[in-house]
Amino acid sequence: MGGDRRSFLTRFVVAGGALIGAGLAGLVGLVAAPKKSRAGGAWRTAIQPGNTPSSFPYTAVLTERHEDGWYQTTRQTVVFIDQQGGELTAMSATCTHLGCHVRWEAGADHFKCPCHGGVYDRAGNVVSGPPPRPLEKIPVRRNPQTSAIEVEV
Amino acid sequence: MKGPIDRLADWLDDRLGHRAILHTLLDEKLPPGTAWAFTLGSVLLFALTVQIITGVTLGLFYAPTPDHAWDSVRYISTQVTGGAFLRGLHHWGSTVIVVAAILHLARVVLFGSYKKPREANWIVGLLLLQVILAFGLTGYLLPWDQRAYWATTVTISIAKLTPVAGDFLAALMRGGAEIGALTLTRWYAVHVLVLPALLVGLTIAHLYLMRRHHISGPVTPKAGTSESFFPHQAARDLTMAIIVGTLLAVLAWKVAPTLEAPADPTSSSYIPRPEWYFLGLFQLLKYFPGKLEVIGALVVPGAVMTLLALLPWLDRGPSRRWKDRPIVLSAFAGGLAAAVALTVMGALDKPASAVTDGQWSLQETGGALMIANDQRCARCHSETSSVAGPIVAGAIRKSDNWIASHIADPEVIAPGVRRPPQTNEQANKAMLAAITRLRLGPAPAVAEADATAITLVTRECLTCHTIDGAGGKGGPVLRNIASKYDLEKLQRRISDPTQFKADTEMPIFGDTLYTEEIEAIAKWLIKK
Repeated sequence: MGGDRRSFLTRFVVAGGALIGAGLAGLVGLVAAPKKSRAGGAWRTAIQPGNTPSSFPYTAVLTERHEDGWYQTTRQTVVFIDQQGGELTAMSATCTHLGCHVRWEAGADHFKCPCHGGVYDRAGNVVSGPPPRPLEKIPVRRNPQTSAIEVEV
Repeated sequence: MKGPIDRLADWLDDRLGHRAILHTLLDEKLPPGTAWAFTLGSVLLFALTVQIITGVTLGLFYAPTPDHAWDSVRYISTQVTGGAFLRGLHHWGSTVIVVAAILHLARVVLFGSYKKPREANWIVGLLLLQVILAFGLTGYLLPWDQRAYWATTVTISIAKLTPVAGDFLAALMRGGAEIGALTLTRWYAVHVLVLPALLVGLTIAHLYLMRRHHISGPVTPKAGTSESFFPHQAARDLTMAIIVGTLLAVLAWKVAPTLEAPADPTSSSYIPRPEWYFLGLFQLLKYFPGKLEVIGALVVPGAVMTLLALLPWLDRGPSRRWKDRPIVLSAFAGGLAAAVALTVMGALDKPASAVTDGQWSLQETGGALMIANDQRCARCHSETSSVAGPIVAGAIRKSDNWIASHIADPEVIAPGVRRPPQTNEQANKAMLAAITRLRLGPAPAVAEADATAITLVTRECLTCHTIDGAGGKGGPVLRNIASKYDLEKLQRRISDPTQFKADTEMPIFGDTLYTEEIEAIAKWLIKK
């Protein structure tokens, strides 16, 4: 009899304790789980109508309101807008190696990354250095109503 | 033949010696008759563990700065999956701990467990009670809402009453010249670094001393065989933990902790009230006006704590039986009853709420419509704007003064720097009134047919006329319009008041409003 009671209570304490622990761990996991990354982009104005740049590729800095959890801030995105033979293209300025911002070097006619020396040609293809992929292409359009140049970021 | 798990356990035990530790921790023989009354300490241990786990998890989101504390708490409550429940657990956990601590203390007094040789543990227990109350006090500043700010103002003012060192203590608690960023970081550090360290240290000391002198057991030793802690008492402890944990979860689920409007040091209408477990002290203060205040604020609570601390030396007899300790027990019961009575009286003595509730007034509704539809607001406050986010009910964190300046001159983001331009005062007042309501919740829906009229009436008519108890005193109160005018006549009355009264001060609205607008106003006034 005594042994039965003892083993029942032992199982009760172990199982109950494990259940409470699992419940708390589950709650912590639920709350602490990282937020999913944001949904797809929206069309944003890169060049205002009538502000056609004097030379291409043009470095456009887009400022947008950004919600970073509870923190309201503005975020800047750098994109390159190019126009060759009437065709618009847009590329991200983020180096595909480790995420630094590349710069257009007009004299050398290429993009260069200041961090580890990655070099891309005007179309964004890797010329030399560590980058594994070409610069990311971004959808671009001329807004039919306003004729502003917009990118989807 | 042993299984692989047993062999692994043997291997580990050779290296760690964990079986001896578990034996020491779990197999203590308890005096016969140790039962449910002795589970309260474990309830506290359980609730404190929950508090540490939920507190650390809240810490993943919380930002201890005046600019962001409120936002981050609101974010936890409204955006984080399970965040409202988590915050509820931490909030109600403090209540559970205070109740369990008082019951535990009462059990120790009733059973005379503080008597020789357990005096030291009694003192450690009282220190733990102070730590628990300090956790509560520092914890509710952290959301940085009105309640947080003003309750802390009161706490620091009370500290100032301390003889000789009062000003120094208050300055130490404030950190800076005023309650602000330096106060918040200070209280935060105490809440999450200093107090937890004290709590863990004192709890270990408490448990060590309990084991050193053993559980006191029933008042009169009972015959019978003694049980070991595990699994017999542990099962009772766990049962209590399940009951308390369920209660806590239901409270956290059903009764969300409030988050009031953000702290506004310029607010003059806010009436602060403390957390319920300080309501007794709050009530006590009311009986000691003026210079006597220090008696209610510090002398009485200090005397009570001193008496409690001296209890093992005041009640020295070896007997723990109730009939041998009538004075101590009746004094304790009297003190406890007084504390409960003060708390209940404090809870009942509620000032008229400064926060408006119930129906939205005409002015508030009109203001909300202007905010929602007026291009002045919507131009910048929208989902797609790069300047400012949409105005969301319940998420407005600027002070009333800031908003008043901002409405008058939206480009002013540093109010007071330059004078705002002249704008329609009634419209601004209405928008400010609406913002105050929007802090608490969304505006009621208004039929589209009424929206234009309400907006215009709020902006134009209320300057001089009172409608539904609000508005100017320059013109007559507008009510029962339908008994004096039909629609056509009323429209003419608004368009050109001079037709009706040559020396009227009422503007000729036909000059400034469209015919359709006047028609909308007239229709709405007649319908009222």
